Amino acid sequence: MISDFILRMVFPVLISTISMSTPLILAALGGVFSVRGGIMALGLESMMMTGAFCAVLGSYLSGSAWIGVLCGVLGGMLLGLLHGVLCIRYKVNQVISGIGLNLLALATTTLLMQLVWKNRGSSPQVASLEYSGVVSPLFWLTLVLAVVASVVLFRTKFGLRLRMVGEHPQAAASMGIRVHGYKYIGVLVCGALAGLGGTYLSLDHLNMFVRDMTAGRGYIAVVINILARYTPLNTIWCAGIFGFSDAVQIIFQGRGIPPQLVQSLPYVVTLLVLAFGVKHITPPAGVGKSEDD
Amino acid sequence: MRVVEMHDIVKDYPLTRALDHVDFALDSGSIHSLLGENGAGKSTLMKILYGMCTPDQGHIQIKGQSERITNPRQAINLGIGMVHQHFMLAPVMTVAENIVVGSEPDTGLLFDSRKAALVVDQLIARYGFCIKANERVSNLSVGEQQRVEILKALYHGAEILILDEPTAVLTPQEVEELFVIMRELRKAGKSIILITHKLKETLAIADTLSVLRDGRMITSGLSIEGVSADDLARMMVGRDVDLEMTNRSKTIGPISLQVRGLTLKGKEKNILSDLSFDLHRNEILGIAGIEGNGQSELIEVLTGLAKAEAIVFQHEGTTLSGDAHDFIQLKIGHVPEDRSTRGLIKEMTVEENLMLGYHRSPRFNRRGFFRPSAVRDFAQRMIKDYTIKTGSSRQRCGSLSGGNQQKVVIARVFSEDPDLIIVAQPTRGVDIGAMHYIHERLFELRDQGKAILLVSADLDEVRRLSDRIAVMYDGRIVSISKPGEYTETQLGLMMTGSSVEGCKDDNQA
Repeated sequence: MISDFILRMVFPVLISTISMSTPLILAALGGVFSVRGGIMALGLESMMMTGAFCAVLGSYLSGSAWIGVLCGVLGGMLLGLLHGVLCIRYKVNQVISGIGLNLLALATTTLLMQLVWKNRGSSPQVASLEYSGVVSPLFWLTLVLAVVASVVLFRTKFGLRLRMVGEHPQAAASMGIRVHGYKYIGVLVCGALAGLGGTYLSLDHLNMFVRDMTAGRGYIAVVINILARYTPLNTIWCAGIFGFSDAVQIIFQGRGIPPQLVQSLPYVVTLLVLAFGVKHITPPAGVGKSEDD
Repeated sequence: MRVVEMHDIVKDYPLTRALDHVDFALDSGSIHSLLGENGAGKSTLMKILYGMCTPDQGHIQIKGQSERITNPRQAINLGIGMVHQHFMLAPVMTVAENIVVGSEPDTGLLFDSRKAALVVDQLIARYGFCIKANERVSNLSVGEQQRVEILKALYHGAEILILDEPTAVLTPQEVEELFVIMRELRKAGKSIILITHKLKETLAIADTLSVLRDGRMITSGLSIEGVSADDLARMMVGRDVDLEMTNRSKTIGPISLQVRGLTLKGKEKNILSDLSFDLHRNEILGIAGIEGNGQSELIEVLTGLAKAEAIVFQHEGTTLSGDAHDFIQLKIGHVPEDRSTRGLIKEMTVEENLMLGYHRSPRFNRRGFFRPSAVRDFAQRMIKDYTIKTGSSRQRCGSLSGGNQQKVVIARVFSEDPDLIIVAQPTRGVDIGAMHYIHERLFELRDQGKAILLVSADLDEVRRLSDRIAVMYDGRIVSISKPGEYTETQLGLMMTGSSVEGCKDDNQA
């Protein structure tokens, strides 16, 4: 009876939680690097979506899923670079830049789907990551990346300088640290990780790209990022909360509970976290500032 | 030996020449005061030396070697360190992290935080400071933060230290301590440039001095011997200024503002607790205190911006209540402590700012519409009366200099003929000329029978202007005295919450 329950409910929920939180962890980890360097990470959604699209495109053109993964990472970095150029070089308001990029990515991926595949709803099926075992190797890679990120951020000279840049850009500049360079590295790493998160959605979870594939996960990653207090290791369990609510939502679909109610669960969790969980968390003091104001 | 020589430095900004063929030299092992008013070009000159901006012309020699310094890293490598006026410290990071960033001890790839803390602790011990390397900077007092800044420069090997207005944020005691540190550094062979506009400090600590005025070097490398404060003021301003001008009230009038048991509750503790004082007509009551001891909140309560409980809170016999607009109607004028957040709307014109808060007055309106000619005439008169330097009355207020912005605020408040004036930090960021002018206006208003409450972080200003001095500490008034009753040191001690009775005798002995 109990073993039956574990087999039918707990185990699937666990697997599903892992699967749903992997992209969230990746994107939120990216957000850590961006925010720690003083650039708001509201554009995570666009980096994930572009990553998901580029991954499928790469896999479609090359026939290799791993080249697809590479393309997904590069796609995310491209958006990260764009966000960086807008915020660092042209000092655009970071909220506007982030949200603008999110809208841009949705529109551009839809347009490119129409151009490449003559279908604006979904791409054809492409070669996706294949592995034996229930848990994706990308999940293990994600955990390793979180640990590496933590070490880089808190145990290396690069991390110290990046944090100094994010906390007080003028102070960093006054010590001769190249503020812009560090900020660019921050947003590029952010793009790469969020792009990998998007790639997971399109090449691991599924084997194609569909319109609005990320469906707000980038925004959820922003919330996770805050809830995790911008630290890589916290990101894992914070993303787990959201992954879990997503998993529950999937498992409970079609079991007699109104589907709208079940599907809204992850967003309700987001709202609750926003309302009660993140009140006293302050981002690095230099977010949104440049070293010359 | 000359450690720094700057020759023929020119720096142009759009519309103005910040530095006009300036020469500057610093002797090894000396403290050199670089004097000048706000906007005279002191900071610009030093930013050029520190590589934060590049000159349009001229060249720099460090220890006899010609150098082109284009970024702070280069300056640091040449042994130049700068302590900025606004501290360059990240509050959430530790003392050690803030100090070593830029040339961190490492073990291969990793940052060696243990060694960083060790090195910083040694440095702290060498200079006898009471700071811990692993403390977060946000837990330190302003004076301690400044020491962290100095240590940072020393850690990076500074032989030449630039201190930019280091005393602006310090209490008199902390200033004394800073001077002790500076003398010790000089003994250790460091050369120090002190950027300041305070004459008293220059005379107290400097060996040599240079004076900048409007981007020109008036005098350079002058020895401090035989120089008086008046000489310096003349060089800085370009004309004679009476620095010691005080003018005590001859008659004290009836009570204008009566406050008993004023208490403002905060989240954890009382922000203002049980304040009681009277303010008379024909009187300036000065409030001295280190910022953050309730002065700002007191101003807010007295101008209707915040509500507090009080047993008696009366102006001319009527109990005060309502919002800021009601207080203005009761002829209570307010010169806010921060002109850029409460005093002015920088994006609006001088004209608009001159009637801000009084814009509903029938003087400016007819049937709900502004009368542009009346507004213009009023603005023209104010610009003339208060000698506000502006291109036109329609110029954006933010484009004026600090002193002229302050004059706009003061013109607006004073011209409305208030009975009670709350004046906060009236001369912050204002040059000596404008300061002198503002002080004279305050005396004039007092002699006309106004009651004036002066809040200032500048103890000299409070001592000079006030007919009575109240010291605030931790939301309380700890003493009210006549000027001269306590020495500057004693007032300074009271500002830090120490009891003054014990040290009163020490000082007189």
